[in-house]
Amino acid sequence: MKIIKLFIAVILLIISAISAVMYSGIVNVAADEPHTDLVYWLLETTREKSIEVAAQNIDVPDLSDPELLLTGGMDYEFMCSSCHLKPGRNQSDMSLGLYPSPPNLTIKAEEHDGHKHRDSTQTDRKNFWVIKHGIKASGMPAWGKTHDEQRIWAMVAFLKRLPTLTPEQYQILTALD
Amino acid sequence: MKMLTKIALVLIPTITLSTAALSHDPEMHKMANEKADCKNMDHSKMDMKDPVAMAMMKKCMQQSEKTEIKVDHSKMDHSKMSAEKSKVKKDDSHSSHNH
Ligand code: HEC
Repeated sequence: MKIIKLFIAVILLIISAISAVMYSGIVNVAADEPHTDLVYWLLETTREKSIEVAAQNIDVPDLSDPELLLTGGMDYEFMCSSCHLKPGRNQSDMSLGLYPSPPNLTIKAEEHDGHKHRDSTQTDRKNFWVIKHGIKASGMPAWGKTHDEQRIWAMVAFLKRLPTLTPEQYQILTALD
Repeated sequence: MKMLTKIALVLIPTITLSTAALSHDPEMHKMANEKADCKNMDHSKMDMKDPVAMAMMKKCMQQSEKTEIKVDHSKMDHSKMSAEKSKVKKDDSHSSHNH
């Protein structure tokens, strides 16, 4: 009986602590004020695990067709490059202003700060899932509401090659016809 | 309180002044809607088995086909043009529509 009372007391304490933090307005939600390391780690780990689990059963189709680079490239230029940059452009309003900041997708995945990336099929799955569903409370939109899976896979195919492209190659692949 | 005032005195001008350095050329907001710059392609450096090279070739072929149709006026037969125009006018009658 004693232990149950103690348990209830602890729960009440936690709830009131959380409410105090919430209602006092002490939490700073400004995007130009980074999270503390602890909060950052909590959010990042939660996000990485969530995406990993959600994406694990996605079948990756053949992504080697050159045509995919053309559809994916054009979509990337118009929908993504403002946030995720492109060869020859290493910052933008969005890349500087958003928090969490959009990763620079023109850099090889292994070179992103702090991320762990495994084999490329796993990366393709995760990229597909993220593009389709977006990421809550970040600037990353869910593109699956307005684009079919074929177009999303084309963007996944394009992302695989993006870090290797020169500004000239990028320009040709992504220009409007 | 004194410390706070000091911090404010240093920080407010610093932040205000540094925002000017962060703003940038309005050029960057222009939407790129240019055509593929195919003159820059160096075929000797391209591996034709690479999907990127294949995609670039395809893009530039498509583009040159399109611009040819658009720009090549030499095949226009002016003698036929007035005839075409009157034909269009005739076909344009709405008598056959039944709404
Ligand atoms: C408005 C800005 C914005 C736009 C536009 C945008 N993204 Fe994002 N994207 C983000 C942000 C911010 C993140 C990081 C979210 C986070 O860390 O929680 C992100 C994350 C991602 C990731 C995960 C990267 C990783 O390795 O963790 C991928 C892949 C991605 N975006 C692809 C795209 C593609 C493809 C498009 C275009 C269809 C696109 N994004 C458009 C802001 C944007």
